[in-house]
Amino acid sequence: MAKKKEEQVVYVDSKGKRLDGRKTDELRPIKITAGVIPRADGSAYLEWGQNKVFAAVYGPRECLPKHTASPYKSVIKFEYRMATFSVPDRKNPKPGRREVEISKVCGEALEKAIFVEKFPNTAIDITVEIIDSNAGSRIAALTAASVALADAGIPMRDMVCGTSVGKAGGKIIVDLDKNEEDAPDAVDIPVAMLPNSKEIVLLQLDGILSRKEWDEAYKLAEAAAAKVYEIQKEALKAKYAISKEDEVAPVKGVEG
Amino acid sequence: MTKRLVIPGELVTEERKKLGSHVFVREGKIYSDSMGLVNDEADFASVVPLEGKYMPQQNDVIIGVITAERFAGYSVDINSFYPSFVSKKELREVLKPGSIISAKIMKVNELNEVELGSIRLFFGGEIIQVSPVKIPRVIGKEGSMLNILRDGTGSNIIVGRNGRLWVKGGNTDLLRKGILKIDREAHLDNLTNRISGFLNAENGNKKPVMAQDESLNGEGE
Repeated sequence: MAKKKEEQVVYVDSKGKRLDGRKTDELRPIKITAGVIPRADGSAYLEWGQNKVFAAVYGPRECLPKHTASPYKSVIKFEYRMATFSVPDRKNPKPGRREVEISKVCGEALEKAIFVEKFPNTAIDITVEIIDSNAGSRIAALTAASVALADAGIPMRDMVCGTSVGKAGGKIIVDLDKNEEDAPDAVDIPVAMLPNSKEIVLLQLDGILSRKEWDEAYKLAEAAAAKVYEIQKEALKAKYAISKEDEVAPVKGVEG
Repeated sequence: MTKRLVIPGELVTEERKKLGSHVFVREGKIYSDSMGLVNDEADFASVVPLEGKYMPQQNDVIIGVITAERFAGYSVDINSFYPSFVSKKELREVLKPGSIISAKIMKVNELNEVELGSIRLFFGGEIIQVSPVKIPRVIGKEGSMLNILRDGTGSNIIVGRNGRLWVKGGNTDLLRKGILKIDREAHLDNLTNRISGFLNAENGNKKPVMAQDESLNGEGE
């Protein structure tokens, strides 16, 4: 039965076009805005195809409860959450197995980039809320969180950027969307890296790839991640391009 | 003076230079660790950050807000990583949550916890908060910006290094606007002239604050 379905859907046609008209190495359109949440230390809003993500960074601040603090480094508390309306069926707002796992791996990925040892005994809280999702949301979360961290002025070795690569219909493609992810032979590999040193900070794989296919996939991922990095860079620099005269900055007041 | 905007991980220079602040070395090249401005002509490879928290330093004067009373003292919000503490022994006044004090940082330990000294209590006035990394812009070269703000608004201003300003008297609404302008435009050139022009325009040129020049291009309404 699975075979029949495979024949019905052509994931990459003879011209090298995919279901949504992209080329095999083409990303979905990405839009990032930095500094969208006034009360957060740093924030970012990202649209990656249909994915819509808000990221907010608070800290470095006091690490509570105190037994979670480390006197050697700042603790990264990453929280990945999906809104109930982010998927076609209502999502239970209780954090599930998947969200706990994604929070863990994304937090660890960012910890590699941040100079955590500069802020002992503190916590950096990163909250990412997925407003709309359509495959690749963990990489979208990580990309947005990285921009939010830079916006918060937290010292980092590098930005964190990435894409997913994988296989659908026997072809290696970049940035799979939901349709491609549901292909019978689908392989999905989220890759996140530090763009300047090319260190990989997150890599997960489900499915089976041959060695040759992996080599091809990784090459595509590296090139695509570089594109994502350029978009992050532009987003951060756009915030400081020229401030508009009529734009009023948020007023931060002290109560009492 | 050419200034370049860099983001974390971006190359500052490939030359061998003395290391300034907010940079790190990887494979013999100097990279930035935060978003900020680089002056390529300077002797030091350093980045002036545009965002960030207040990192306590010895001898800084800061402005704190009392958050709670303890048995032997008060906890103070100093706009840094953790709250600090003031002992009742050092004080003659009785403080309440919400009281505003200025204090000098006597000691900072390796965890960035601070000990406060020479505490002064403020009566009245209000607080304007800006990003701590922009405090040097609010003060200006040898206090030039601060003098312009004082002359232009007639307010008393005390600057805390932790990003809080205590102000009293004068035209505080105008001062707040001016400081927001500094906060917003801290990365642009010729800030002092912009601000004096802005204050002049707002005051309706009642009293000239500084010799006007070409940078006065009708800012404000």
